[in-house]
Amino acid sequence: MDYAPARFHASARKLAEQGGDFAYTPENQAKFDAVVQRYPADQRKSAILYALYLAQGQQGYLSPAAMSHVAHHIRCTAAEVEDVVSYYTMFFTKPVGKYVINVCRTLSCALLGAERVTEQLSEVLGIAPGETDPTGTFTLLEVECLGACDRGPVLMINDTDWHERLAPENVRTFVDDLRTRGVGALTGCHLHKEGGKT
Amino acid sequence: MDSVTLTIDGRPVTVAKGKTVLQAAIESGISVPYYCYHPGISIDGSCRVCVVKIEKMPKLQTSCSTLCADGMVVSTRDRDVVEARAGVFEFLLINHPLDCPVCDKGGECPLQDFSYTFGPAESRMDFPRRVFDGEGVKADVDFGPTLMLNRNRCILCTRCVRFMKEIDGDAQIGIVDRGYGSEIATFQEQGVHSLISGNLMDVCPVGAILTKDYRFKSRPWDNPGVVDTICTLCSKGCNTSAWLKAKPEWARGSRLIRMTPRYNPDVNGYWMCDIGRFNYHWIEGENRLRRPMMRGSAGSAAQAAPLEASAWHDVQPRLRDRLQEAGSGGAFHFLASAHASMEELFVLKQLAEALLGGDAMKSVSIGWEATEKPQPATTKFKVPVTDAPNVNGARDLGFAVGRGNEGPADLSGLRKAVEAGTVKALYVIDPAGPKGSLGDISWIAAARRSGALSLLVVQAVVTSELTEAADFVLPGSAWVEKDAIYTNDQGRVQAASRAIAPPGEALEDWQILVNVGRSLGVALPYESSGDVRRALAAAMTGYSEAERLAFMRPVPASTWMQASNPSERWKWDFLFQDLPPTKGHNVQMEGLPAQATPFIPLKPVQ
Repeated sequence: MDYAPARFHASARKLAEQGGDFAYTPENQAKFDAVVQRYPADQRKSAILYALYLAQGQQGYLSPAAMSHVAHHIRCTAAEVEDVVSYYTMFFTKPVGKYVINVCRTLSCALLGAERVTEQLSEVLGIAPGETDPTGTFTLLEVECLGACDRGPVLMINDTDWHERLAPENVRTFVDDLRTRGVGALTGCHLHKEGGKT
Repeated sequence: MDSVTLTIDGRPVTVAKGKTVLQAAIESGISVPYYCYHPGISIDGSCRVCVVKIEKMPKLQTSCSTLCADGMVVSTRDRDVVEARAGVFEFLLINHPLDCPVCDKGGECPLQDFSYTFGPAESRMDFPRRVFDGEGVKADVDFGPTLMLNRNRCILCTRCVRFMKEIDGDAQIGIVDRGYGSEIATFQEQGVHSLISGNLMDVCPVGAILTKDYRFKSRPWDNPGVVDTICTLCSKGCNTSAWLKAKPEWARGSRLIRMTPRYNPDVNGYWMCDIGRFNYHWIEGENRLRRPMMRGSAGSAAQAAPLEASAWHDVQPRLRDRLQEAGSGGAFHFLASAHASMEELFVLKQLAEALLGGDAMKSVSIGWEATEKPQPATTKFKVPVTDAPNVNGARDLGFAVGRGNEGPADLSGLRKAVEAGTVKALYVIDPAGPKGSLGDISWIAAARRSGALSLLVVQAVVTSELTEAADFVLPGSAWVEKDAIYTNDQGRVQAASRAIAPPGEALEDWQILVNVGRSLGVALPYESSGDVRRALAAAMTGYSEAERLAFMRPVPASTWMQASNPSERWKWDFLFQDLPPTKGHNVQMEGLPAQATPFIPLKPVQ
């Protein structure tokens, strides 16, 4: 039924970037199948975060196709998946660089000059916070506390690796180092080193 | 049933166990505002305006999510409550645009009503309001084929989200982003695609979700007439309200301005489908039959003569002659749509029995269509397959209806008889539009054109292929133009009320049948549809209540507000009877010691 064929002003909402088709790789499918079994059949939806994490790991970000694929697997609607994806800042809806640089901006780091660090990174990489450089190597983000407050300013690269005590004036060397040596250039998290795996 | 007794505002209240404090307050006529609560969907507790003070509980409680318990002492007018509530209202209006003058909800908006009654008199917001999608009506964005969404007006009560998840069964709406940036959205802005999407306008307590159909068409105070009726577009028989725009009879444009559902727990709950809600434009459309028509009014009965508009008093005698001619041949047949009401079918039955004697019931076929409606399997509001309101009524009257409401009518027997030439004259009654309600009946028109039928009388409401081929066209009435009763698929007998008059010279269908009968010498002693119902109630078992069914007339303009916002309408039966919303005067503060500001003052803005 076409009740009102007129077109209206378009929504200004930022949508996820279109990608190609998406399906879990066999390994990810096996991981998903193993994890989803831990949930009661009627609460299969609760596996949504793990399912999205797998999809983002596979594609780097969550395209509409990936959200639909996840919705199909956990048996809910794509709108409910988009609801969750848009809620969590750690899910990306557009492609990100090889290194996602998360700069802490919470109190301790801020007092130790995290803002300067972000400015320097912006200048060196030529991108504003939230953007990805044209080569697809770096994405710069500002985040809340990373839990290593006594060694600020702290960065986290790709959810996995920490870099501590990055002075604004060392940013240029740090970036060059990261380019050439990869994550080997990072100091790591002192808490990991001292207390073993926590 | 177990019941509990509590005290609300010093008044003892007894309610069934399991009810919430808000429901208890509503039932006993105590005004508590609410947005996220809706009686038809689950409880959310997100809007916070229903806060009350309950003794022995440390903080104010949301009454919508607090179950009643024996001995509970609740206050809805304590100073703490009044201040907290006013604070919540102030927050709700921080970003809500004050575009009520252009908003379609203005005048029937719970946010307006409750803000006037319970909120602070003015806002202290000095900053620019947050906007999504642009300002003003520019922010109205497409929300599917039937709806518009204005996110600026949204107060995030999530009624629409819960409606789609629980009632529709397909959760197409979600809240994207978070905190200050939260907005109602569908996946990738695809919009809502549902057969019951129109209900979202009703559940929305502000003007955020509106139907494209009603957008900018009228204002509540311009719709003084509301008629309680039923929908007859399928076998469910949803209880509805037909809204009439105030305008003189001679002015252009339609009077019927929208259809909304009316609460009936046994039939449709709070909801109705989009077919019934939006498929009414044909009633006052261009294709309506306004005058009777016949072929060859100049004298020649030739089939080639054009169909010409005529007057009832010219049509009646010629119709009588032709019917008598056809009747003597013994091959006369009636085809009635199951859109015909009980009254019409009852008169038709008497007419057929008088004209055709023992073969009467075999000489009347009942026709209707059936279409499978695409709906999610888990939907709580199932739209039936039968597209006619009165199949069960036809069965009760003794007409053959085959499998009834389980599938379409089987007219193949009649078709064979017409094409074989055993039926020579056909009288079709179809008071439904816009495409008729008998399915594909092009074979009837074809049979008339080929001469297999020598007489075709069509009593209908809109022009169609069938009326083009007919010898006589008799203009009847749509269901909102007559007082009539219909028997739905549950066997429930319900009344549809006359909201507007039939157009032009069109008559109510029972009247046309009575006139035809009388011209043929059949005694049909009916002067009104009420007479028919009285006879029907006396003649049929199970229909004794038929004459006592109430037919509504438009409610007067002075009570339009009580009838406004259909899904909220039931609350008007309880709320605000003693507390009319009054601008600039917080009735909840009455009786309390005067105070300059009923809220905690902020630091003055420089």
